[in-house]
Amino acid sequence: MNQFPRPSRRALLKGAAAFATTPVTGFPAVHAAEPVTLRYLGTAVNQSADIARKVKEDLGLTIEYIPVVTDEVTKRVVTQPNSFDLVDTEYFSLKKILPSGNLAGMDAKRIKLADKISSVFTQGEVAGKKIGDQGTAPKKVFYLEGQDSKKFAGEQTGWISLIPTVYNADTLGIRPDLVNIPVTSWKELLNPAFKGRAAILNIPSIGIMDAAMVVEATGDYTYGDKGNMTKPEIDRTIKLLIEAKRAGQFRAFWQDFNESVNLMAAGETVIQSMWSPAVTKVRAQGVPCTYQPLKEGYRAWASGFGIPKTLSGRKLDAAYAFINWFLSGWAGAYLNRQGYYSAVLETAKANMQPYEWAFWMEGKAAEKDILGPDGALIEKAGATRDGGSFDQRMGSVACWNAVMDENTYMVRKWNEFIAA
Amino acid sequence: MNDLALSRLAEAAASPAPSGRRRRRALAYLQAAPLAFVFLVFLVVPLVLTGIVSLWEYNEYAIVPALTLQNYADVFDGCLSADLCTTVRTYLSTLKFVALTLAITLPLGFAIAYFLAFHIRSNTVRMGLFLLCTIPFWTSNVIRMISWIPLLGRNGLVNDTLRGLGLIREPIEGLLYSDFAVVLAFVHLDTVFMIVPIFNSLARIDRRLIEAARDCGASGAQTLWNVVLPLAKPGIAIGAIFVVTLVMGDFVTVGVMGGQQIASVGKVIQVQMAYLQFPAAAANAMVLLAAVLLMILGLTRMIDLRRVL
Amino acid sequence: MNVELIGLTKRYGTAIAVDAIDLKVPSGAYCCLLGPSGCGKTTTLRMIGGHERASAGEVVIGPKAVGDAAPSERGTAMMFQSYALFPHLDARDNVAFSLKMRGVGKAERRAEAMAMLDLVQMGHLAGRLPAQLSGGQQQRVALARALLTGPKVLLLDEPLSALDPFLRVRMRVELKRIQTELGLTFIHVTHSQEEAMALSDLVVVMNAGRIEQASDPRTVFERPATAFVARFIGGHNVIRLPGGMIAVRADRMRLGAEAGHAAMPARVVAVEYQGTSVHVGLDADGLERPSEGSAALTAVLSDVDFAARPLRPGDTVTVGWDMAAAHRLDA
Repeated sequence: MNQFPRPSRRALLKGAAAFATTPVTGFPAVHAAEPVTLRYLGTAVNQSADIARKVKEDLGLTIEYIPVVTDEVTKRVVTQPNSFDLVDTEYFSLKKILPSGNLAGMDAKRIKLADKISSVFTQGEVAGKKIGDQGTAPKKVFYLEGQDSKKFAGEQTGWISLIPTVYNADTLGIRPDLVNIPVTSWKELLNPAFKGRAAILNIPSIGIMDAAMVVEATGDYTYGDKGNMTKPEIDRTIKLLIEAKRAGQFRAFWQDFNESVNLMAAGETVIQSMWSPAVTKVRAQGVPCTYQPLKEGYRAWASGFGIPKTLSGRKLDAAYAFINWFLSGWAGAYLNRQGYYSAVLETAKANMQPYEWAFWMEGKAAEKDILGPDGALIEKAGATRDGGSFDQRMGSVACWNAVMDENTYMVRKWNEFIAA
Repeated sequence: MNDLALSRLAEAAASPAPSGRRRRRALAYLQAAPLAFVFLVFLVVPLVLTGIVSLWEYNEYAIVPALTLQNYADVFDGCLSADLCTTVRTYLSTLKFVALTLAITLPLGFAIAYFLAFHIRSNTVRMGLFLLCTIPFWTSNVIRMISWIPLLGRNGLVNDTLRGLGLIREPIEGLLYSDFAVVLAFVHLDTVFMIVPIFNSLARIDRRLIEAARDCGASGAQTLWNVVLPLAKPGIAIGAIFVVTLVMGDFVTVGVMGGQQIASVGKVIQVQMAYLQFPAAAANAMVLLAAVLLMILGLTRMIDLRRVL
Repeated sequence: MNVELIGLTKRYGTAIAVDAIDLKVPSGAYCCLLGPSGCGKTTTLRMIGGHERASAGEVVIGPKAVGDAAPSERGTAMMFQSYALFPHLDARDNVAFSLKMRGVGKAERRAEAMAMLDLVQMGHLAGRLPAQLSGGQQQRVALARALLTGPKVLLLDEPLSALDPFLRVRMRVELKRIQTELGLTFIHVTHSQEEAMALSDLVVVMNAGRIEQASDPRTVFERPATAFVARFIGGHNVIRLPGGMIAVRADRMRLGAEAGHAAMPARVVAVEYQGTSVHVGLDADGLERPSEGSAALTAVLSDVDFAARPLRPGDTVTVGWDMAAAHRLDA
């Protein structure tokens, strides 16, 4: 092999073809040289083989997934910043990651669709209406003061911490066939009627926020910021959880996606904290399951791409190219079809059928059968999406997944709850 | 090294001359060196590092070299008050599982080992039965985790069968996500660790000792109690050490079978690791290590391990 | 108590280890089961002791057939080869084991065990574990343990084979003393004819699962029943003559002028000096060697006779025997 291998004729042709069909152009540098591989660190849920295949076709980029669990993503970024080229992580972990100085601010000028990114991130608004910003709301951590800054800017700057990949609004999942009272409030999670049939998730920072939603729903107490509790607030919340646990309210606490699916599908639980794709999976097994909108609103989360500070040269160019491609529509449509929301809605819309868009984003009844990205039937014609349209769902966000200032104390109290 | 060289070395080692003795000692050290090196690199060094880190300070995103006992103070926070603190509670819960698991795996493991050692004549059959004992390990933890629900769940096989037989009206909730479920899973997984060392001890018992006991008028039970059991003690102790260590350090089984509702020391450490609180996790690990070592020390007082191995 | 075996048989699958043997051991006798390894002697002993179930036939101990009774119920006690002492118990508790099984209190059984240990001169080592005792000491403990069960018949499985020759002779004397003192029936398995000769009142020579001869030692030696017995006992020349097989004791061979009328010429092939006697190995035409490497005939001469007429390998000499010394064999 010589030192500067020239691309084969076939690769060139393929590249040209890709140029012709890809709506976004302007990254020929990636194609001209030796193929680049990007090591993509993130949770398995977001790492789709279809996306990797498509980007290979379109850009000639090879994506090498490093799938780990959520907490592990943060740990890797902080402790092994050279083990990846691109990270897909949740916004709340920025509070831990940024001070380590391992992430670089991304140049907004190099992100072609930067100004088209959903206002959920840039302004904390949906359809011009402010949404809940308790916890680590993305708008609080979206901009950085400078490329190498370890500080978040409260206002728009040219430097972005993470470019959004997916986000969603979480609520409680219920088994409508086994729950015979109307569930409209978070407080039903601790309703003794569901004794021994409720579950929350055993991820302290998220579990405690679900508990906080319950506390506020009962009207006992209103938090200053559910996503950043004071020590007495933590004590109060944990106390409520311990009482419920001792009273036998919980069947189990779940830790990962599959556990939550199994609990619900087997009827071990009838009401529990849940993630949207888990609800879809329960339904796919033929078991009725509703992602129940609640009047107090949703607990939202968002994750996005970050790049390590050490990335440079062609790899850096490739990372930007990949992110630009990701925002350009195909990937957005793919994610929307899974029930997530994508960063740039316009481009995603252009890649979806109108009836799909109407079902997923506008809350309308499905005109035809709704298929997932893999072609599996998700909903029959006539069904509507739980929680309604994008504006209804994201517009009702009450708080965001967060890392609290009193995180250490909170974790200790959570362990106390588990041991109780 | 070929056989010839080895035998020459052995000859040299056997030579009683002072220089030979020195060479023999050097050879012994040389032979122990690889294992010692592995121990040093993979056990001693990490342990020392863990010990050091447990004395450091930390914040959300970094650990700071310092010398503080705060992490240990946090571990035992509130333990001096009348109410049991989290750590004591967690250890008590774990110790309860150790005791229950031992109480079941020991007689069960002994019975199976006894059967394999004394009642199975054919080596092939014995190997086959040994393989049967390892069946729980043929599947991954994930598969096992998933398959418990259809078996023990509210609408699982056991409850359905009992209801079908008319023995119960309402499903027994405690079959899954309970102490019972945790102990069941531990017994399921750990009995084989009891069987193997006990079998090893039993296999070494000279069959003539059993005949001698019978000759002295001992009944089957008396022989078991007065001859077999005392001679199986080393195997029992080693098996108990396995079980104690496995149960003390476990958090996966407790988590899955307890529906994450039951605390375990390992889980506490895992959560702290996940939240990047390494020094706190290290302090907890050191306390756990000390607790396990104390228990093993207690067990080894029962036997002279070196005589056995 | 006397022991009688009637048609006692042990089969392992199709292989026959003990082939329908009949034997009477009188009460208080010292009986040795003698034979090469694999002859069925140990299996016979184990059937008597109740450690092996007989395929056919009966063991009668004292007045009654014992059938499948447990060892302790038949009044036998066994001393195992390599002793089978309980390694986790000291000498005293090993000896006291049978009493413990019977529920005798600790103080009482230990006192009895000490008395028994004193009988075998092991009282001073009562607190030692078997691993801390020498072979001879272990054997005494094993003997004490067997005796404490109060047996009427003591069964000994190769009790002396693990000892060095010096100790073997001493223990032999000891065994005989104890047997005489206690007046018990001893049945002792051995492959050493010297041991059998020295100890027994009754020697039972076994071969291939059958009894070849059961008699007092003197009869066995003077009048071996078969060629196998004559060869196994040693000290005999087995000679095939046209009229059948005869055995002639080696010390009754005559050389040279005394050879008499049956004399034949022979070659000296070996001369072994033994102190009080000299063994002379001879080959003669028409006589087969009993095994490779040994001479066809052996003559044992007193050292005085040999000194008077010394022989060297290669010499030719006439050899013969007294007709009275020749003993006709069954097969």
